[in-house]
Amino acid sequence: MTDLRRAAGPLAAILGLVIVLALLQASGLAYWQGLFINLGIFLILVLSLNLSSGFTGVFSLGHIGFMALGAYGSAILTLPLREKQEYLPNLPAGLAGVHFDFHLGPFPLGFLLATLVAAVLVALVALLVGLVLMRLSGHFVAVATLGFLVIVRVILFNADHFTRGSRTFSNVTPYTDLWWVWAWALVVLYVVRRIKRSPFGRAMLAQREDRWAAQSIGIAVMPPRLLAFVVSAFFTAVAGSLYAHFITSFSPTVFYFDLTFRVITMLVVGGMGSVSGSVIGTVLVVGLAEALRRIEDATLLYGMSQIILAVIFILIIVFRREGLLGQREIALDRLFVKGGEPSS
Amino acid sequence: MLLYVTQQFVNALSLGSLYALMAVGLAMVFGILRLINFAHGDLMMVAAYFAAFALFANLPLGLALVLMIGGTMGVGLLMERVAYRPIRGAPDVAALLTSFAVGQILQNGTLLFTRLIQKPIQIAFPSPELLNGVIAFGPVTVPRLNIVSLVTGVILLVLLSLFVTRTTLGLSMRAAAEDLSAAQLMGIDINRVIATAFAIGSGLAAVAGLLFAVQAGQINPYMGFTPVLKAFIAAVIGGFGSIAGAVVGGYVLGGLEVFLTAIPGIGDILPAGFVSPEVQAFLKQWLPASLTSYRDAFVFVALILVLLFRPNGILRRREREEMQ
Amino acid sequence: MKGKLFALVVIASLLLAACGGAATTAAPSGPIKIGGGFALTGAESSLDVPAANGAKLALKEINAAGGVLGRQVELVIHDSQYKMDVTAQIAKQFVEQDQVVAVIGFTDTDSVLASGPTIQAAGLPFITAGATSPKLPTQVGDKMFLACFGDNVQAAVGAEYGFKNYGKTAYLLWDKGVEYTTLLSGYFKARFTELGGTLALEDSYETDATDFSAQIAKVKALPQQPDFYFISAMPYNVGPVVKQFRDAGLTGPIIGGDGYDTPDLVSVAGSAAENVFFTTHALMDATGGTEGIKKFIAAYKTEYGHDPENAFAALGYDTMYLIVDAIKRAGSTDSAAIKKAIEETKNYPGITGSITFSPEAHVPQKGVTVIAIKDGKFTLGAELVPEKVPAP
Repeated sequence: MTDLRRAAGPLAAILGLVIVLALLQASGLAYWQGLFINLGIFLILVLSLNLSSGFTGVFSLGHIGFMALGAYGSAILTLPLREKQEYLPNLPAGLAGVHFDFHLGPFPLGFLLATLVAAVLVALVALLVGLVLMRLSGHFVAVATLGFLVIVRVILFNADHFTRGSRTFSNVTPYTDLWWVWAWALVVLYVVRRIKRSPFGRAMLAQREDRWAAQSIGIAVMPPRLLAFVVSAFFTAVAGSLYAHFITSFSPTVFYFDLTFRVITMLVVGGMGSVSGSVIGTVLVVGLAEALRRIEDATLLYGMSQIILAVIFILIIVFRREGLLGQREIALDRLFVKGGEPSS
Repeated sequence: MLLYVTQQFVNALSLGSLYALMAVGLAMVFGILRLINFAHGDLMMVAAYFAAFALFANLPLGLALVLMIGGTMGVGLLMERVAYRPIRGAPDVAALLTSFAVGQILQNGTLLFTRLIQKPIQIAFPSPELLNGVIAFGPVTVPRLNIVSLVTGVILLVLLSLFVTRTTLGLSMRAAAEDLSAAQLMGIDINRVIATAFAIGSGLAAVAGLLFAVQAGQINPYMGFTPVLKAFIAAVIGGFGSIAGAVVGGYVLGGLEVFLTAIPGIGDILPAGFVSPEVQAFLKQWLPASLTSYRDAFVFVALILVLLFRPNGILRRREREEMQ
Repeated sequence: MKGKLFALVVIASLLLAACGGAATTAAPSGPIKIGGGFALTGAESSLDVPAANGAKLALKEINAAGGVLGRQVELVIHDSQYKMDVTAQIAKQFVEQDQVVAVIGFTDTDSVLASGPTIQAAGLPFITAGATSPKLPTQVGDKMFLACFGDNVQAAVGAEYGFKNYGKTAYLLWDKGVEYTTLLSGYFKARFTELGGTLALEDSYETDATDFSAQIAKVKALPQQPDFYFISAMPYNVGPVVKQFRDAGLTGPIIGGDGYDTPDLVSVAGSAAENVFFTTHALMDATGGTEGIKKFIAAYKTEYGHDPENAFAALGYDTMYLIVDAIKRAGSTDSAAIKKAIEETKNYPGITGSITFSPEAHVPQKGVTVIAIKDGKFTLGAELVPEKVPAP
């Protein structure tokens, strides 16, 4: 009986989400739909970064590089033949014929397949990168992953037969909608939450707190870090694919420091190590940024919104460093349960 | 050919001096605080703006320099007091992230300010005559700016090392860099030491910022991003936290960048007959000029290699174990 | 919990902000709204702010003269912060909440492509002030128009001018981090080699580079100096590049594109900027320019406290006038009518040149002005139309 009651909380939340999405979709208001799609994509990015950096304490500043690879990879796959010939005339023969723009009835199966293929490939890249870089710690790994971000960018600029280089990659089919984004967001939420509660997750958090103590009781440091890194790269690439098929055009300049800081801000505000914190942090920062942007436009004080967000960031780090939630979680599954049954 | 090599060598030295100057300021602060201050580039930007406005007001060069350095030191000290002191003792990453936020504030603050006083976003920098033009040593040309960079850099670094080895405050700084908590236990006023480090670092940033602005020709609120990235790479390659390392790193980076630009395309510029036609064709095919565009990637690969195999930099320096 | 309260405040303010901009049916007697999308903060701002300023100046003049169709005109400006997801959002804001009849703005292709699909889908005409990729109308759709000639046109003129006046060998240097400079150099190379020219050396630099000594040393080491140098650069690099070239002792002619059209070129390069030529829209000089240009420069200075920063100021100005002129000729604010009127624009006397569109050509057939720098001043070199233009 308690199991059912424990499931009631999260189920209610999901139901609420579905209702909101349905209303949004029906309303036809592209502005609000766009905002919620952005919210969902950022949520996936923040959760992934939380998994990789928040849990393990190993800070990766290069994650957006995985997003870029996911975006380009999936877009190259889904680009229909006509657009491929128009915009990517120099693709090698194998890829030039590939176009994942097929459907299963009304369902864009090609899009799902392209996303998965791209994400798996990116995960493999992350495995290689992680094997090399995850042995570093502290600011060393932060710097090294920054290097990864720059290297990806340079490669994207130069592999112009695949990516059009500095010219905008455009005319991607707009498959992404509210349902896709939030379905994936829920998947990521679930996966990250499960990992946090698993032995792997506990190992990650242990070695984040005190690496030497963790090692001394036999917790290996590399496997949880690597797993976190690879899984988070996978989902970051998924976010990249969703982004690519939402904005329908992008260039390597999009996936650089600016986007990195925005995601980090949301992560820090919410709390590194807390899944619910990531949700709250993302909603707050995205919502606040949009509200401030509109005020900025009205008052002509361009630049003000960035200052305010930066100040909030500093205040959080100074006064509440662990973020709004720290490592705690909002126990949705205790919503309908009375009494002190523990849930982590 | 010899001329080409010599000229590129001179270019590398020049570029290296500028990077070294930028890197030393960054290394100063890291040495004591373990803080990677990404707002260092924005300090350079602020310095350039101070200098520009002083020069626009027709102040004599000396006074403009004083204002520039003083103003930048002020901003640096404020930064330390408000943003970094409250988080001393926090994990390194917290401070690094904070420095991004501080940079944002400086950039957008400058943006708002320039709009307020009705100046364009990008302002042509009024370079002093001293820093313009070239000096020719026979067929090899060196911009006067680079000579000034080199000389200034040397002077400042000599002064700095004198300060650090001969004065009490300097000694305290070295002690703090060695072991912050031990220094504190020995009765050293940490606040004063750190403030001094920031002041000196900001002063160095100011000089680097001025030289960078002259080279770039114009200033804008976002100009600090690239220099801090370069300074950062230089400092890490050379040995993070070590001032000598930052200097070496600056020259290594300058050399690396020039080398990576000078070699691709070499097939096109070799004089006829210098090498056999087969070799020339080989060079043209495998080292085309288009390789230059991979330069940044190679630099970062070098950086990552250093981090993996010589984390204390090329100049080895015993570093505190990362107790994490 | 503080967090929850904070969240409530944010959501409330969002709702308020949204309501503030919510759609009210546009009363026929209210102002005619035109959307202005610009990156007023961020890396592109040194180009977009002048464009926005030019557009606002034009707006002021238009309204002072009585507006159009008996109504005042309102330019609703949103800052895209040079973030592409924000750019896409403001396009939706224009279409759904601001109820604009047309959109102008942006000086780069990334932003146009991020906002274009939404505007196209809503059927609104979209004129970009400064993006020059000739492929844009194909990529976005039939509501897309450019206010400038395409890069292929100005590159062709540059190639022909260099070939005819200076010779068959050239050196090509370009900024590889930006679409405009990459396109320009690509089109130049295509046209130049088609004419029979050869490139002695090609090289590139990063967009944030300030030191070009390594590339310059390579040029100097060439066994024989080429007849001219074609350098495809952005306004923020032009000054240092030219200066360092001359400082190194390379005195040959330098040819470039409209990225050179900024007073910063002479301010920074000083006397080095001799023997420099570039293609642009019109001679924007207070002494040598047309009457329209002179008036514009004076008005800009009065309004903003400094001279127009670059050609984009004038382009923003013309774009605003262009769209209002089309509305006047359309006789209504119906988007389809406006679009048709834009397509019927013939020889519109913009200060950046005479603008003609057609249903097939959404990139204007504009003459190209070649500016020569003499004694530190912009002078008219030639006014040319290319003989042949590389395909977009």
